[in-house]
Amino acid sequence: MAAVQTETVTLTVNGQSVTVPKGTLILDAAKEVGIDIPIFCSHPKMAPVAVCRMCLVEVEKMPKLQPACAVYVADGMVVKTVTDQVNKYQKGVLEFLLINHPLDCPICDKGGECPLQDQTYQYGPGASRFTFDKAHFDKAVPLSDRIVLDRERCILCWRCTRFSEEISGERELALIQRGVHTIIGTYNDEPAQSNYQGNWTEICPVGALTSRQYRFISRPWDLDRTASVCPGCAMGCNIQIDARNNKIGRFQSRENVAVDDSWLCDYGRYSFPNFQRESQERPRIRRNGALEEVSFDEAIGFAADQLTQAGGQVAGWASPSDTNEELFLFRRLFRDVFQSPHLDHRPGALPDPEPEDTSLPIADIEHLDHAILLGGQEVIDAAPVLHLRLFKSQRKGLIVHKVGVGEGKKALDAVPAEAQAVGVLATEANKSAAVELQSRLSKKVKGSVRRLMITTGPNGRGAKDLGILPHLGPGYVSLNGQSGKGRVEWPGAGLRAVYIHESSPLHAFATSDAESMWLPGLPLLIYHRFKSSPLDDLAHVIIPGHAFTEKDGTVTNMEGRVQRIKTAIDAAWVREDWRVMQAIANRLGAGWTYADVAEITAELVRALPPYAAVNQAERVTWSENR
Amino acid sequence: MAGVKETLLGPIYIARAMLTTLKHNRKPIVTIEYPERQKPVPPRERGRHILHRYADGLEKCVGCELCAIACPVGCIVVEAAENTPEHRVSPGERYAKRYEINLLRCIYCGLCEEACPYDAITMGPRYDLADDHPDKFIAVKEDLLEPLSASISDTALPTAAPSAQPVARKW
Ligand code: SF4
Ligand code: SF4
Ligand code: SF4
Ligand code: SF4
Repeated sequence: MAAVQTETVTLTVNGQSVTVPKGTLILDAAKEVGIDIPIFCSHPKMAPVAVCRMCLVEVEKMPKLQPACAVYVADGMVVKTVTDQVNKYQKGVLEFLLINHPLDCPICDKGGECPLQDQTYQYGPGASRFTFDKAHFDKAVPLSDRIVLDRERCILCWRCTRFSEEISGERELALIQRGVHTIIGTYNDEPAQSNYQGNWTEICPVGALTSRQYRFISRPWDLDRTASVCPGCAMGCNIQIDARNNKIGRFQSRENVAVDDSWLCDYGRYSFPNFQRESQERPRIRRNGALEEVSFDEAIGFAADQLTQAGGQVAGWASPSDTNEELFLFRRLFRDVFQSPHLDHRPGALPDPEPEDTSLPIADIEHLDHAILLGGQEVIDAAPVLHLRLFKSQRKGLIVHKVGVGEGKKALDAVPAEAQAVGVLATEANKSAAVELQSRLSKKVKGSVRRLMITTGPNGRGAKDLGILPHLGPGYVSLNGQSGKGRVEWPGAGLRAVYIHESSPLHAFATSDAESMWLPGLPLLIYHRFKSSPLDDLAHVIIPGHAFTEKDGTVTNMEGRVQRIKTAIDAAWVREDWRVMQAIANRLGAGWTYADVAEITAELVRALPPYAAVNQAERVTWSENR
Repeated sequence: MAGVKETLLGPIYIARAMLTTLKHNRKPIVTIEYPERQKPVPPRERGRHILHRYADGLEKCVGCELCAIACPVGCIVVEAAENTPEHRVSPGERYAKRYEINLLRCIYCGLCEEACPYDAITMGPRYDLADDHPDKFIAVKEDLLEPLSASISDTALPTAAPSAQPVARKW
């Protein structure tokens, strides 16, 4: 996009002069100079409606107070946000809002982080003059299995209904009735279906919409907050893990305009029970058919001895939710120590990955004129927050074509030759069709045609970049004849040992039919994992590992953006996964001396310069280095 | 000749002393046989906390944690849970599943009582809290809750400690 020459206007807010681009709201202009105007209904991602009237300010030469969230700045405007009149109106608005508000803060999950509480303290009257009975509405109404609505607490700010109209486009929530009888509800009181309901709880400025999972779990001041990345899918939405007493209470969104645009999907947001640790498990090894508990050192020694006996006939599967640091060591363990090329992270057979698979960054979708979802809804299901980005862009003029995988022709016909920027989005399983469509489109249209392949798991892209593949090394270099066998070929390949590493039950090693025939006969299965699974019954060595939420490291999302995850839950009694790998390697004579995760990251960046993006939370771009 | 004078006055001194003794024998005794008997405490005594119930036996505490956040030494732990029709502990939606006070850390300031929006916790009259192990000073909900029978009325004051009663004379 060409840089647009923006016109600016200069105005005065509380005596401070501020220059902002034309078309800025008074509210945002005031924020520029650090002046806070209280708001309830206004939201930076939604169009102004000015229904709550909390943001009224005095503007010189205007007869009445003006809503700062809906009035655009003009040159020479003189705005006053703290005057007796403004104060009086703010008090009045709050007094009205509180007339029917139940004030049951002690039992409300929002209490302690509630804008209505905070602003009442800051701007409100100390006492109410209203002595009659409050209007009563239904409390604790289940809107779906995830959301609980308290109609008494609702202050009718319309944020949730606007989200459902402007952000997700699903129009699930509506205002029903009029005047004091107005309530929020779904059509015919049917349970809400949306996959983005969790966002309602975050934008609701009171405790009217709350999460069922987080219900009465904690108070905001009890929570330990850790910045992390959603373990749900390859989108890599930024989250904040809120934990109480070392137990996850909820995932909250953490805005990253380039990735999630401040939203999460319910699949990811409510996936955290998968990461709760149930017991203090110890390593186990199988002796004479029975599993017995041993120390970490003993399990590592046992695994190393058995691996030595297996010679080079070892295959390794690392899950696409491992960190880049773990994957880096895992690859070194196999390629350098075991001298085995049989390495994989994929659930089955998939087309070969290429760096060009990330040529369309997520945020650039907004600048496309045509987007083709090859596989239709399947693409959205693979990375649900993508829908919100697409819908946002559609409101700005993007045309989205949802076509089946076999219907590339239909999409080709639908995109006109004069299109400027076209994007093809597909899951990695449908890559071949997407690449073919891309090349045919490039011939047809004038502008650029880029593609974005949706990988599996929060670090599926990192696993490809780092060469957890049987035939490609780090940075997609060819292995020149040293290719190993991919996961689908393992049964019947004469392997003597398999090492499986996984840190999330969401992207675990799910055995196929062929694998479930083959695994029981395997001489050695090392299962290094966070959560137990049916594979435990087949494993010869079980080493407990850290969950996605329990470790430091970096992960790479589907567009190649490297983001850090941090330890949110302390499970120090479990040996870090990378230390276990290092110990196994050293037992086999490797002599690795990593002291912490940062050292592995540093070495990873040295070995693979594009990963310098780690330190800038940037995208890995491969262009020159290959 | 001093000896003669004292011999003559001696019985008078003894009689005077006996008179004093006899005079005091008619007054009530002030010594209280602690710990069998205890002095009445002032109504606003800040002794060990009591968690109250409503007249129907339901707990007043909703598990809001305001006492815990108000406590200057951080000795209260509250964890809340949701009432269900099958398991109803308090009248509203929410109750305290766990309620613990570390009585060794507590400075008996009464701020928890001030903070509570439901008058669920008050400082009680009990001050005899000696025990033989630090662990025994973690008062859990069962220790703090008013016994069911004591919740006679919604406004019942903290149950008073056994007060000093007139001691029957032993002689
Ligand atoms: S439920 Fe919350 S977000 Fe929706 S209108 Fe009411 S107060 Fe606003
Ligand atoms: S789109 Fe993916 S990364 Fe984002 S919240 Fe959903 S599951 Fe998590
Ligand atoms: S009396 Fe004071 S120190 Fe003791 S629990 Fe209450 S608030 Fe805390
Ligand atoms: S005792 Fe009172 S302040 Fe403490 S949790 Fe219970 S209701 Fe809240």
